[in-house]
Amino acid sequence: MEDIIRLNNICYSYYGRIHAVSDISLAVKKGERFAIIGTNGSGKSTLLQIMNGLIHQTSGTYHFKDLEVTENTLKNKGFLRFFRENIGYVFQDSDVQLFCPTVLDELIYGPLQLELNEGVALDRAFEVMKMLQIETLKDRPSYMLSGGEKKKVAIGSILTMNPDILLLDEPTNGLDPRTQCFLVELMLNLSDAGKTLVIATHDLSLVDELHARVALLSEEHKIEKIGDCDEILKDLDLLLKVNLIHEHIHFHGNIHHRHILSHNLSHKHEKD
Amino acid sequence: MKNNVPAFLLSRPSYEPRNFDKGRLKTSFIEKGIHHAAQIIQTGYVNWETASKDDFFQGIDARVKVIFLLFYIIIVSLKNDLISEVLIGVFVFILSIVASLNIFSFYKRVIFFSFIFGFLAAAPSALNIITKGHIILPLFHLSSAHHLWIYQIPQEIGLTKEGIYGVSMLTLRCMNSLSISLFVLNTTTFPDIIKALKAMLVTDAFLMVITLSYKYIFIFAKIVEDMHLAKKSRLVGQMSAVDGRRWAAGRIAFMFKKTTLRCEEIMKAMLSRGFSDNIKIYGARKLCLKDWTSGAILLLIGMIFLYI
Repeated sequence: MEDIIRLNNICYSYYGRIHAVSDISLAVKKGERFAIIGTNGSGKSTLLQIMNGLIHQTSGTYHFKDLEVTENTLKNKGFLRFFRENIGYVFQDSDVQLFCPTVLDELIYGPLQLELNEGVALDRAFEVMKMLQIETLKDRPSYMLSGGEKKKVAIGSILTMNPDILLLDEPTNGLDPRTQCFLVELMLNLSDAGKTLVIATHDLSLVDELHARVALLSEEHKIEKIGDCDEILKDLDLLLKVNLIHEHIHFHGNIHHRHILSHNLSHKHEKD
Repeated sequence: MKNNVPAFLLSRPSYEPRNFDKGRLKTSFIEKGIHHAAQIIQTGYVNWETASKDDFFQGIDARVKVIFLLFYIIIVSLKNDLISEVLIGVFVFILSIVASLNIFSFYKRVIFFSFIFGFLAAAPSALNIITKGHIILPLFHLSSAHHLWIYQIPQEIGLTKEGIYGVSMLTLRCMNSLSISLFVLNTTTFPDIIKALKAMLVTDAFLMVITLSYKYIFIFAKIVEDMHLAKKSRLVGQMSAVDGRRWAAGRIAFMFKKTTLRCEEIMKAMLSRGFSDNIKIYGARKLCLKDWTSGAILLLIGMIFLYI
């Protein structure tokens, strides 16, 4: 499979002072599920924003489908259109992403930007609402939605643009288990439909469920390892090293246990 | 969930690069405004970093620095000659170097604001229409003098020596007051300033308002920046000025709504943690020898400025 996204030695620092990502090189293949995992502040969101051309690397190169993406190339209207219709970005905070008066306006905003006619845009919006089970919300303003509904609308607002690559920043964060389950299934369905998914998360069970290829970021904002889901999630020493899991004490009745807390891969009890 | 992905999502956008010769995007006025709003965070961060350095002036207790600020601003206002004002300016410049401030960005701000609030505001008073005196630079020559309401417009209009002196004094006072204030703000972290003001018996309500305002300026600047990025990620071409204004108006309404809700939540959080109209601030440390010595030196230099 060809590389769609290719980052080479990417560095980025906020205000020229706070290092967010350092010397990152990775490639995302067409149609794959790719997860960027790491602790809070390791640079996952920054990396997604660089991939979406919202912020620009201080050094290194970013190629999208063999075309270099820079602040300058994104000023070209033709390239910008090509780039935006291929990559959609779902923000961690849905509140910042939803800015249209109602849910329906939110869903047709993207297609209208792509200069699709209103009929097609509305068809897309209704199909997506049906898929996400949010038809009843179509006339509601975004501030009258629950957290899960906002997340669905935020994802829908990107899906109506039909991008080939979806960048999802902590997609299941703060959602109830039912909505989380719904989103995981949705992501798997979209992946089956041929979409490339790039997910930034620290939720290891999500990575396991999606069975994604993984790039593990260290607390030094560097790539610690890139590999298959099983290879990385089973390497508890590696996960301990980057502080994604920790030792944890709990009780079963009167028995006191100490074990490594990870998602569901390890629950090895040792009697203290 | 059943796999009910709509048919249009199964069709893929063409990967063939389109014709990229469609002209270039211009940065809109609103976008520039948002970038400037986002710079608040950067400025705040840079100030905090400078104020947290381990240099001599940063290490002095905030109470000493706040008293220094008030005392020197009074001196600047009392002095009536250019030489003293220039000397005070040089003194603050030396202090800025000692405190390892970024002199260029520091004086850029000082000069910008002094130019607007000092020089521009006072510039007309240099003319002999307002300040009578000896003309040293004639500008216009009218056929005859005019009398207009309470103003006497002389035949010859120009800059007077007394007027220029007055404008220079006002500009220098403005510049000195600003540089002293910014100097203290750049060498003292915000929490330390609040502690110092609290120690000086400034009203709790006032301190609470400025503390919360300062914090939420940063939070909302970050939200504005994120909202801008979210819009940018879905924007394929250029937003028209009308759409841009509409977006900004919608977002302002959203921010207002969010602020109102947040305000209620914060109040509840404060109450639940025992807030009762009185801020209890931890850690007014004892003044050490360094604080007393530097305070005494600053006081002595201030007295010298007063008497020269």
